[in-house]
Amino acid sequence: MEVLLGISGKDFVLIAASKAAMRGATILKASDDKTRELNKNTLMAYSGEAGDTVQFAEYIQRNAQLYSMRNETELSPPALANFVRGELASSLRSRKPYQVNLLLGGVDKDTGKPSLFWLDYLAALAEVPYAAHGYAQYYCLSILDKHHQRDISLERGIELLNLCADELKRRLPIDFKGLTVKAITADGVKDIPYDDDKIVKSA
Amino acid sequence: MASGYDRALSVFSPDGHVFQVEYAGEAVKRGTCAVGVKGKDAVVLGCEKRSAMKLQDTRITPSKIQLLDNHVALAFAGLNADARILVDKARLEAQSHRLSVEDPVTIDYITKYVAGVQQRYTQAGGVRPFGISTLVVGFDKNSKIPRLYQTEPSGIYSAWKANAIGRSSKTVREFLERNYKDDMETEATIRLAIKSLLEVVQTGAKNIEIALMLPGEEIEMLPTDEIEEYVKEIEQEKQEEAAKKKTGRAGAGSAALPTRGQDDAAA
Amino acid sequence: MDALVAKYSRPAAEESDPFENELESHDLMNPADHLSLKFAMPPVAQPSSWLRAATDDRSNPECPIKIAHGTTTLAFRFQGGIIVATDSRATAGDWIASQTVKKVIEINSVLLGTMAGGAADCQYWLAWLGMQCRLHELRHKRRISVAAASKILANLVYSYKGMGLSMGTMCAGVTAEEGPALYYVDSDGTRLAGNLFCVGSGQTFAYGVLDAEYKYELSNEAALELGRRSILAAAHRDAYSGGYINLYHIEEKGWTRHGFSDTNPIFWKTKLEKGEFSNVTSELE
Repeated sequence: MEVLLGISGKDFVLIAASKAAMRGATILKASDDKTRELNKNTLMAYSGEAGDTVQFAEYIQRNAQLYSMRNETELSPPALANFVRGELASSLRSRKPYQVNLLLGGVDKDTGKPSLFWLDYLAALAEVPYAAHGYAQYYCLSILDKHHQRDISLERGIELLNLCADELKRRLPIDFKGLTVKAITADGVKDIPYDDDKIVKSA
Repeated sequence: MASGYDRALSVFSPDGHVFQVEYAGEAVKRGTCAVGVKGKDAVVLGCEKRSAMKLQDTRITPSKIQLLDNHVALAFAGLNADARILVDKARLEAQSHRLSVEDPVTIDYITKYVAGVQQRYTQAGGVRPFGISTLVVGFDKNSKIPRLYQTEPSGIYSAWKANAIGRSSKTVREFLERNYKDDMETEATIRLAIKSLLEVVQTGAKNIEIALMLPGEEIEMLPTDEIEEYVKEIEQEKQEEAAKKKTGRAGAGSAALPTRGQDDAAA
Repeated sequence: MDALVAKYSRPAAEESDPFENELESHDLMNPADHLSLKFAMPPVAQPSSWLRAATDDRSNPECPIKIAHGTTTLAFRFQGGIIVATDSRATAGDWIASQTVKKVIEINSVLLGTMAGGAADCQYWLAWLGMQCRLHELRHKRRISVAAASKILANLVYSYKGMGLSMGTMCAGVTAEEGPALYYVDSDGTRLAGNLFCVGSGQTFAYGVLDAEYKYELSNEAALELGRRSILAAAHRDAYSGGYINLYHIEEKGWTRHGFSDTNPIFWKTKLEKGEFSNVTSELE
């Protein structure tokens, strides 16, 4: 029951990922970071098959770095999203596909345009204003359908994220140990403090 | 003529030479000069830049100083096109290293890798050695110790406090040997790099490139006007010194500046 | 002979990279690679499911190969370094194959690995890791970090993912640059850094005791005792754990061993002196 959430706004993209690393009936780690920075202003969050996730994310991360070294230019978030999709698609047709679901958020360094991409392990790619993976989809998408607007500020984005997180705490049957929350703006990626210990009462 | 022993690469001459590798060394000597100088907490790379032709777009003509990873830079002397291939291999290795052991490469490791690639191209059939020498500089992760290495077409690598490669490198190296001091401040390190290059670069700042590396920071390419200032200072100093000499030793000769021979290819 | 000549006299332009297809070129850079054995795989389409069918004693008690399984291992970081503790029982199905297994593998003087899952897989690959660490030391002129060592192992097991490896291991060590460092690596390819891990069939029992009293500020004695007591808990409740308690303490100067001690007297000592395990009677009716 991994949670991935993404919300974009006027000049930012917010990405949140659950902190629990589970194996069978055990939470092995309660402070896992399921995100990787691809470059200064693009972040990717992942969930899925153990082992595949980190291997794939780091493989993408290193290739993004290599690209910028070789060409002395950073890839834009849409370019990266399409690159990632291509890698997933060719892996899908290999002997051992990566089973990874992804959210990729970034802000274009030159135009300042924020963009958020939803990718699943079947290499489907969609640009969306807000997104989720796993069970979080069933709870959060309806909330965001109602409250999200395209030109919201970062503060409002964080409010919406808390709205979603509270609902997950209320209704998900398994504790996901809180969220790592990161905001991508034109200035880069920064951590957003998030209160994991907040108790949410059910109605 | 080396009686045919220079025809195939992987063949020794009877007296133990691999001529193709030695010829690669000649290609290096024809390349523009590059220097590297270590200071107390910085390391500086300097390059002689070929004068651009009138219609050339200098903004997008590639530099002789290139990043291998965020914390390692390489300068080369010799065949530009060969360097591109070598740099690309090194960059791939740097990222691959991060992927497989998490840590960034150490300067020692990536130098060894570059030299290793160069060596391989001296021992296989159907290939020709890289016609370049390189200077590799940077800082290891969490380290404040500046590092400077040199690699040669044969695959030899070595560590230095300051060194020069390429055209007239002997002149520059001798200059560095005379003027190098341990634990130089950053300012003095840059100055020494520029001053040593001025030994062989007649045209001044517009034909000099300087890169500065400090621990944990991104590489900094000095802007031309800043180099210009250093050059002016150095020129002025030289003139003052020359004037002093003149008055001190009247009639010692008009050519007070000890300008050295154009080339040291014979050495 | 002609072919050989052709190979070496081919103009370079005909090949994009003359070394691309040559394994030996890689060997020149990484002399250790040829030591990593290329294993022969069974001649079937799905080696892993074939292996599972032959080894899974739970679904088929008559399976031809019984792999040694069942373990409790734990390691945790604290103020004084790292404690590593394991039991010593190896089981093959319901059968106790050994009571004296060394489940802590001494990779070098500051690095330890633990063993859970397939005994052979762990023993072989941790020994292999030891070799890689030593080669790293020789090549880089300094000791490998725990992060790098664990990542080498994680990358290796990941390359065999889906082929039937079964390992749950911890790499623990104290190095100058990292301080005490602990990584969990399993055969899915998961690699996690953390303060505290328990691995094996008895992990839940060990977690129960360890989590309740664990603090980073623990004294050396208290930490050793907590490690020992956690393994005892698992040895008592888990049928597949038991035997002896193997206890290690790692500091920056290296690891020290604190005994390989029989659980039975420790159990009775704990019960009779501290009054724990009150569900067990100590008198004859």
